[in-house]
Amino acid sequence: MTATHHVLVVGHGPAAHRLVERLRAHGHRGPVTVLGAEPRPAYNRVLLTSVLDGTLTAGDLELPAPPDGVRVRSGVTATAVDRARRLVRTDSGETFRYDRLVLATGARPRIPRLTGVRTADGRLTEGVTTLRTADDAERLADGPVVVLGGGVLGTETTLALLRAGRDVTLVHPGPHPMHDRLDDTAGALLASRLRSAGARLRTGRAAVEYRPGKLVLDDGEVLRADALALCTGVEPETALARRAGLAVRTGIVVDRHLRTTDPRVHALGDCAESGGEVPGHVGTAWEQAESLARILAGHDTHHRAGRPALRLRAPGLDLACLGPPDPPGATRRITLSDPARGRHAALALDGDRVAGAVLIGLPRAAAALAQLYARDLPVPSDRFALLLGAAAGATPARVELPDAAVLCHCNHVTKADLLRAWRAGARDLTGIAAATRATTGCGGCADDVRRVLASATGGNSAP
Amino acid sequence: MTRTPRTLVVVGHGMTGHRLVEHLRAHDRHGAWRAVVLAEEPRPAYNRVALSSYLEGRSAADLTLADRAFLTDPLVELRTAAPVTGIDRRARTVTTADGTVTRYDALVLATGSRPFVPPVPGRDLPGCFVYRTFDDLDALREAAREGLPGVVVGGGLLGLEAANALRLLGVRPHVVELAPRLMPVQLDDGGARVLTRLVTGLGLRVHCGTAVREIHPAADGRVGGVTLTDGTALDARLVVFSAGVRPRDELAGPAGLATGGRGGFLVDDLCRTEDPHIWAVGECAAVRGRTYGLVAPGYRMAELVADRLLDRPTAPFADPDTAAKLKLLGVDVASFGDAHAETEGALEYVLRDDTAGTYAKLVLDPEGRVLRGGVLAGDATAYRTLRALTGRELTAPPDLLLSAPGPGGPPPPPRAADAA
Repeated sequence: MTATHHVLVVGHGPAAHRLVERLRAHGHRGPVTVLGAEPRPAYNRVLLTSVLDGTLTAGDLELPAPPDGVRVRSGVTATAVDRARRLVRTDSGETFRYDRLVLATGARPRIPRLTGVRTADGRLTEGVTTLRTADDAERLADGPVVVLGGGVLGTETTLALLRAGRDVTLVHPGPHPMHDRLDDTAGALLASRLRSAGARLRTGRAAVEYRPGKLVLDDGEVLRADALALCTGVEPETALARRAGLAVRTGIVVDRHLRTTDPRVHALGDCAESGGEVPGHVGTAWEQAESLARILAGHDTHHRAGRPALRLRAPGLDLACLGPPDPPGATRRITLSDPARGRHAALALDGDRVAGAVLIGLPRAAAALAQLYARDLPVPSDRFALLLGAAAGATPARVELPDAAVLCHCNHVTKADLLRAWRAGARDLTGIAAATRATTGCGGCADDVRRVLASATGGNSAP
Repeated sequence: MTRTPRTLVVVGHGMTGHRLVEHLRAHDRHGAWRAVVLAEEPRPAYNRVALSSYLEGRSAADLTLADRAFLTDPLVELRTAAPVTGIDRRARTVTTADGTVTRYDALVLATGSRPFVPPVPGRDLPGCFVYRTFDDLDALREAAREGLPGVVVGGGLLGLEAANALRLLGVRPHVVELAPRLMPVQLDDGGARVLTRLVTGLGLRVHCGTAVREIHPAADGRVGGVTLTDGTALDARLVVFSAGVRPRDELAGPAGLATGGRGGFLVDDLCRTEDPHIWAVGECAAVRGRTYGLVAPGYRMAELVADRLLDRPTAPFADPDTAAKLKLLGVDVASFGDAHAETEGALEYVLRDDTAGTYAKLVLDPEGRVLRGGVLAGDATAYRTLRALTGRELTAPPDLLLSAPGPGGPPPPPRAADAA
């Protein structure tokens, strides 16, 4: 592979945008063409919720222009790949030749099988919208909104719409939002945050029918829903690859060089299935873009799946998930609960390595743990300080009791009492018992008394 | 010149009654008081906390608290098998069952408590026992036979000790606890899960979240079986009730003394009843309405009252230590301070090691600096250190404290320096 091949990229989402930028950085000198189906330049989909809450406009999300020499065709959809001739046909009637083709077709929202959600011709009923594109975000109807699906997108969407002053109900089939990522404690905390932000929650509920302005739930409740936002997951966009005869399971199957079954065709991002996984996660897409840029620029390398953190950030809410919710191989579990301040951490360790974690309201710990997790580094021994976000070593590391500490609880004898008795000549348990009564109750303190005696004797007999 | 000593009458010779007299005698340098101790049991006070060791071979004499000095003290008169039947506050006298009337200048009620036996049908059948005195244990030992089926009613601290006692007597007992977990007062769910696994390993069979509905007789008229409220039927030839205690406050009504909402002689935080001559200490005392079923708070009360009688400086009874550790071979479970994180703004820090089978929870102040309490299960090595640190600033990071061997740090190094 040489650095002068023509690279054709189908799709212009964040993965494609990052790829073409990094191609140049890694020394690729050949022509690069990008075909974007949306009529606008690449934008940062991750920030779409900021359009919903009104802090940004769709235009603000635009990503920087691609490097010089990269030709971008917006509003052009690829319709077929002719692998034998190495060219791509489009809905504009043009054809584009390639030496290397990159499929970055992304994913599309999954539309639930719900009566009334589609019109007879298969389009979404008026009032119903998905939230994948900038157009979607601008299309959301006014009035009370029901968000269907309480995953990451549904949760972020709910919070964003509440910030915009909308009336929002979140309907989620699980026991609490993000239930596939959060344990009960963290889930309850998230639910209470959503409620205190003003959301109505309907958890453990499914929608059964949409009528204009109304959503009917499986328990018969009818919610007012001038707008229905579908946040019910995504499906990799694989139609083009399938028609081209490339191997597709859930996503377009790629190897560790992010290569499909055709060595001249690569895939990355939300449309690609690597090692049996379709992460659907922008962090993964960016890592893949970096690897693929090196590969296409001719470097002898391959992609190693990283371990990105899932972060959900909204004013007053900072949530991070590392690894799977119940990580295999985890032997030790550490939790920190601070319900009064809405903070929670659940950390699973495999030896001294992070196997998984969920953190709410602990941004410093989240950042530190994400680093350790990504690089598989050992967790420092003061885990409490790490989780609280305090500097390690803030507390002195002495396991020594103050003199006023009570050692014999039955008889209320302090360490100072023992030392006084020692100075008065008591040198063994019998002497101590006679002088202080320590050890004469339940007897449980005998070892401690011996230790204090030994350390007093040891400390005072030095020359 | 010596004055005639005033008379202190102590009703009850349990651990707290005994401690009160001992403390009084130790600090009464001028012989201001003569103590008359009226014991219900036929023997002097003994270490009830260590009662279970009686079944493991320690004798009654090993557990007695009254030494020679106490028994021969001219200013102490101990009358055993002398239960008090009435108090005449106007005459300032008490009457014992044999009709003897004793005058007092100060009266301390240290009557303790009795086991609570829930009102279930069959509870009076032969084969039903309680677990509080030497006599109870003697009766239990007499009835126990290797392999007999047994049921312990109550999965608290004492219930588990009773269950272990049955185990030592060759009985493999069922433990029935009304709450959803064992030791519900002391432990949280995580700690109780470890405890359940450990005691199950010892052969106990645990039934939580259910209660005894009825005890059925066998053909011989003794206990034959138990039905639980969840419908479970258990074979049982022995039933031990260990479902908590109730204060012995039956002297209160006839004497016109007030009792707390949940029983016990109502006293202020100096352990005094509304009658300035009458005090109450230990499990029978409802200090500002609250009773305490542990020996450490009882001792505090006893010393407090003895000090008051001697006009020694005393602090009111406050923040009692309610720490508890289960004393069963191979079962390390303990709880101390605010174990359930009920104090304002408390943080909970939990370490669970599934490989080692351990669980540890620390409850801390909102800043994470001051230890307020905790639960340890599977490994309670750190118990004594943490208990002593309760209410104080941590001296080391929690992770280190939980792995430390005990107060004073690791065992002291050999004294090589001295030799050098």
